Amino acid sequence: MIAQLILTAFLLGILLYAWLEYRRAPVVGVLAMVAALTGLYFVWIPAHATRLAELVGIGRGVDLILYIWVVISLIMLLNLHLKLRVQKEMITVLARELAIANARLAATAK
Amino acid sequence: MHPEPGKCVWVVIAAYNEARVIEQVVAGVRRRGYSVVVVDDGSGDATAAIAEQAATAVVYHPVNLGQGAALQTGIEFALGQGADFIVTFDADGQHRADDIAALLRALTENKADFALGSRFLGASIDLPRSRRWLLKAATLFTRFTTGLRVSDTHNGLRAMTRRGASFVALRQNRMAHASELLEQIARSKLRYVEVPVTIEYSAYSLAKGQKLSDSLTILVDLSAQRLHR
Repeated sequence: MIAQLILTAFLLGILLYAWLEYRRAPVVGVLAMVAALTGLYFVWIPAHATRLAELVGIGRGVDLILYIWVVISLIMLLNLHLKLRVQKEMITVLARELAIANARLAATAK
Repeated sequence: MHPEPGKCVWVVIAAYNEARVIEQVVAGVRRRGYSVVVVDDGSGDATAAIAEQAATAVVYHPVNLGQGAALQTGIEFALGQGADFIVTFDADGQHRADDIAALLRALTENKADFALGSRFLGASIDLPRSRRWLLKAATLFTRFTTGLRVSDTHNGLRAMTRRGASFVALRQNRMAHASELLEQIARSKLRYVEVPVTIEYSAYSLAKGQKLSDSLTILVDLSAQRLHR
């Protein structure tokens, strides 16, 4: 029960994170939401996790939940990558403003 | 010489560590009466110093950002200078300055906003077979993703009107900018035309050009941009 409550708190946190990220990166938001909701479902109905795990050949329901965590981690990695890209775009805009402001024109063009 | 009397033409040359060839490339374009802005993309060699002697203007990126970023900087600079037409031209010496006039003529005659150079309608001298297949594959991919019926998608020699240039907002800093530009042309619904040009490969330009591994990076960059705003 304690583990279920801790996992639920984590997954609710991820759900909130997914909702916040949805506006900036809809694909990441939806993926994280689906992963978190699936995780919540299996945390509270572990029997279904075991049955599904057996069905797809994973073995135990606990392993399935572990795999969901891995998926969530990968989604977060992707999101970090996207955030870095956005930062780089902002640096580019800044560098461009600087570059144009400091352009050197040849004497004939002035 | 200058095929558009009374019109302001700026040629944008993005350069990164091109000290060996930049003077000759810029001089070739200026001899034909065009204004040239060299965007030095954080070069570690003497590119900027040499360009200052040869070009109409030099813009300096404080750090290396990539060819796409440098072209966008050059386009914005040229727009700020009141350019009526903007041409993008590679710094490695594989383009012919004489082709610029044909591109500008194509814009005017076809009332188009973009004139895209095509080595497959024109000629490519000493193009290795592997590079030819890579370019053909890139063209097929871009035709599929943009819907534009173009024959050469990664040709850096192109011209645009002021109106066309104002639609260009490259966010792909690296090599994916060529595909991104075509996507933006498609979205703008403005008229484009392809123009036969000649690309002359040298050992120098081949060493600086795109490789097979770059195509994977381009695919990743194009996909990643679709995932965020």
